[in-house]
Amino acid sequence: MAGNENFEPKILAFLCNWCSYAAADLAGSSRMQYPPQIRVIRVPCSGRIDPFLLIRAFNSGADGILVSGCHPGDCHYLDGNYYARRRFLMLKELMQYAGIAEERVNFTWCSASEGKRFAAIVDRVVERIKAVGPWEGFDSRGFIRREEEVAGGN
Amino acid sequence: METNYSEISKKIQEISRKLLEEGRVDRVIGFERGEFTGEMTPVLVTDPEEAENLLFNPECEMMLAKYLLDYGGSTTGIVAKPCDTRAITVYLAEELIKRDEIVIIGINDCQGLEENEACDECGVRNPVVADEEIGQPRQEPVETDIKDDLKDMSLGERFAYFQEEFSRCIRCYACREACFVCSCEECFVDSNQPQWVGFSVGLRDNFTFHLMRAMHMAGRCINCGACELACPEAINMRALTRNLYRVAQEVYEFEPGLDPEEKTLFATYRLNDSEQGFLD
Repeated sequence: MAGNENFEPKILAFLCNWCSYAAADLAGSSRMQYPPQIRVIRVPCSGRIDPFLLIRAFNSGADGILVSGCHPGDCHYLDGNYYARRRFLMLKELMQYAGIAEERVNFTWCSASEGKRFAAIVDRVVERIKAVGPWEGFDSRGFIRREEEVAGGN
Repeated sequence: METNYSEISKKIQEISRKLLEEGRVDRVIGFERGEFTGEMTPVLVTDPEEAENLLFNPECEMMLAKYLLDYGGSTTGIVAKPCDTRAITVYLAEELIKRDEIVIIGINDCQGLEENEACDECGVRNPVVADEEIGQPRQEPVETDIKDDLKDMSLGERFAYFQEEFSRCIRCYACREACFVCSCEECFVDSNQPQWVGFSVGLRDNFTFHLMRAMHMAGRCINCGACELACPEAINMRALTRNLYRVAQEVYEFEPGLDPEEKTLFATYRLNDSEQGFLD
């Protein structure tokens, strides 16, 4: 897309309190640089994230989402991320089938000691979303029907 | 072999009468011909004398299983096509109904309904669970495929296609009312705390509604096509749900409504589940 050089995506990052949020914290306290386009939402567990929240992020105009939880097997609540994993895969398939670029829907795992990895992931996610351009919304074509359709009696 | 629907209807009447007279059930849910429109409508029979009203034919398109949820604590007989028995199986797997409270009158060798495209994609032609069976079970399996007519489209074309489809949605929620999966006490579209999706009709909220609806269906939807039959605007909403059905089949080898003991897709997990598409 043209004119996207200055595009600064808005990315919602849902981070698990026990791993990924601590990883973001570690990245910060280790003075690592990562892009400032993510807005962090702290959640108790990746299993707490209702897929509806992620769909709603796009409804509200986010350019992309990042969900990060504990590595499988490391969940603070034992199996929250196992349940989440199934939901996220299905959500990803759904969004892609509905025509939303898979680059906008990002899932990953990040442990509390992986500050460096977290910074790298954010870097990558921002790159991915910059590559597909701004999210124009579900209503990008406008809701009003084309005139010929109305005139044609459809 | 031609299916003899008057024969099936007679068997349904016999069995229902017997069940009601013996007191094995308090009521039977089935179909009768509607009084004014002549269409097949659901009917609730409590009197053995009324059992002769029950009919069955290829116009019986409604999913009756949803009515079972209203009659917990008493016994109910139900006339069930194979898809109804799959719906009942999903309810049993989710523990929404009790097995000993229902008597299933299953119809063997289902030929599918008129005007329902989903029936051509269905490979389940005998009841999954049944107490009383009508007709002979079909032995040879039906070769079917879940249709995928959008797979050749590019991402942008699919998005435009769904925008076109969902722009017609008038948010009447007929799809929700017809669907057996939609049995939540409070639907997410009616909730205002939190308000998941806007109440008004507009492409943005329509699209969001359909995505959320499809997400609720994942792992429960049996691809019966009731939503499309109910839709007054003929929106191809099953495209989304049947895609998820296919993904669940391919990735998790999971098909809903075939085993009452098996938990539904999102109620369980495996340690080595796929992470296809996740960032590493």
